[in-house]
Amino acid sequence: MTPLEVFALAVFIFTYALIISERIHRTVAAMAGGSLVLLANVVPWEKVPVYLDLDTILLLAGMMIIVNTTRLSGLFEYIAIKTAKFAKGEPIRVLILFSVVTALVSAFLDNVTTVLLLTPMLIYISRLMEVNPLPFLLSEIFASNIGGMATLIGDPPNIMIGSAAGLSFNEFLFNMGLIAFLDLILMIFVVYLAYRKVLKVSKEKKERILRTLGNLDERAAIRDLALFRKSIITIVVVVLFFFVHDKLRIEPAVVALFGASLILFWSRENPEGILEKIEWATLFFFGGLFLIVGSLVETGFIGQMAQWITSHIHSEGEAILVIAWLSALASAVIDNIPFTATMVPLIKAMGMSLNTYPLWWALSLGACLGGNGTAIGASANVVVIGIAEREGIKITFMDFLKMGIIVMILTVGAGVGILWARYVW
Amino acid sequence: MGLYSSFIGRKFKHIAGKKYEDIIKHYREFLLTEEERQIPEIRSILMPLDRYVKNIPTELYETISAYEARTLLVYILDSHVFELVRQTLSPEASEEFRRREEIMGEELLNNVAKKLESYGLRVQRRIFFGNKSDDVIRMAGNYDMLAISRNYGAEITKTSPLSPLVLKIIQHLEIPVIVY
Repeated sequence: MTPLEVFALAVFIFTYALIISERIHRTVAAMAGGSLVLLANVVPWEKVPVYLDLDTILLLAGMMIIVNTTRLSGLFEYIAIKTAKFAKGEPIRVLILFSVVTALVSAFLDNVTTVLLLTPMLIYISRLMEVNPLPFLLSEIFASNIGGMATLIGDPPNIMIGSAAGLSFNEFLFNMGLIAFLDLILMIFVVYLAYRKVLKVSKEKKERILRTLGNLDERAAIRDLALFRKSIITIVVVVLFFFVHDKLRIEPAVVALFGASLILFWSRENPEGILEKIEWATLFFFGGLFLIVGSLVETGFIGQMAQWITSHIHSEGEAILVIAWLSALASAVIDNIPFTATMVPLIKAMGMSLNTYPLWWALSLGACLGGNGTAIGASANVVVIGIAEREGIKITFMDFLKMGIIVMILTVGAGVGILWARYVW
Repeated sequence: MGLYSSFIGRKFKHIAGKKYEDIIKHYREFLLTEEERQIPEIRSILMPLDRYVKNIPTELYETISAYEARTLLVYILDSHVFELVRQTLSPEASEEFRRREEIMGEELLNNVAKKLESYGLRVQRRIFFGNKSDDVIRMAGNYDMLAISRNYGAEITKTSPLSPLVLKIIQHLEIPVIVY
């Protein structure tokens, strides 16, 4: 190993350790690592645009603008109340409907915003039903991670994969959408089986719940009716554009930026206020990670790793198994964003001797669903557990692990089976 | 457990920032609190009346009839005013004041009772000398709800649409109150 290689690897390990420990903000850790590799000239300045994946960063920024503007209208709270009313105070209906709505919203918007907006309603309704909120909160987390896997824009790992491999929105929907759909059914069934005894309310209680829910007015949640309508139209237009972006030869990031400018132009919202709400910390986190991983590519470390892996893996089938399960296990412990950032150049380098097309799906599968394995596996998990804790509901590490591991193994297993059926057999 | 909680707390702060506070603030604007969700059980209603209570809206009768509660109509003659009349005018004048007040009270109580009974409610009537605010506050402790006119105890004006006595009474009660 050359000194530069050792330096890049040391920065990589040190930064990832800082990110895992959460002692300092992950963005600060990534920025510090990124600036170190630039300072040491491991990544030359002229190569920065090559490693900074602008497709990913701009796609994220565009979607953040759309989501933050839409949030002002009260659309998400409206959806939450409507869902609660449709559930009619029946625990099993609450479980199914909130899981489906969470998965659907997470498939198109970011998981953290989705669970931040739906969890308060879910806790409210479970208190109304006077049932243990744990199954509802767990299924919401699992559904969010499963739904995020379904589309190109659902989860940051998918955005990175799509950008690196040039995969289209429809390819994601065709490959991961079906897996997500089956996994969602499987997950709801598993949670129902585990908690079926607590998912019951008496007839009298149901009547009282229905009365209280009937008093809730979903229209009261709408803060700005004009913005509410414009937000729905913008989201529909953006999603339609995503469906045809590859035929129109438009990058997904351009679609997101177009949607962002459309809603800002149409709503006349103060752009300074909206742009302030962009999660700049997340975008800089990505930037730092891309530079750190770029330093490993630049020094040739990733290439050597890929060579070593391909010398031990002899077929796409084996690679699917290894990548999916390795990603799942790793993502259950560490953030799936830095993990995917590392795996993307590795899989690209494996393209010298293997067909990488199915491997991208294996990476997406493992990185997105691995997050269901432990309480700290994905951002959505932490947000729901954090909200629950603030509301006086304790979800211990073991509470989560008992269900999380089962759901992770079953859903990743089902996904691997489908990928094998599609690309190996 | 402590380590896990503080780790989750730290990570939550890093990921969600202040977003959650904004969201929960918005939810509080339209979600009922635990207290508001409890539907109070109303078995007895206290309804104080006096010379200032003129028009009782039909909506009040309809609302009260929904509870199917025992209702006590109470007409309080102001003992302080009675004493003032006796001291400043004459004992005869105060007796005349008492007689006229009692006639007015009986008439009002009978009219309201008749109307409430027509809605199928059990009604009791009482008329006595006392303090219009303190006695209502004391008696209300034994009742599940108070129905009181905005005019009770004083004439109201455009600039002061609520009698000061009513304001004092409702500030001292913990039971639900209908102000009509």
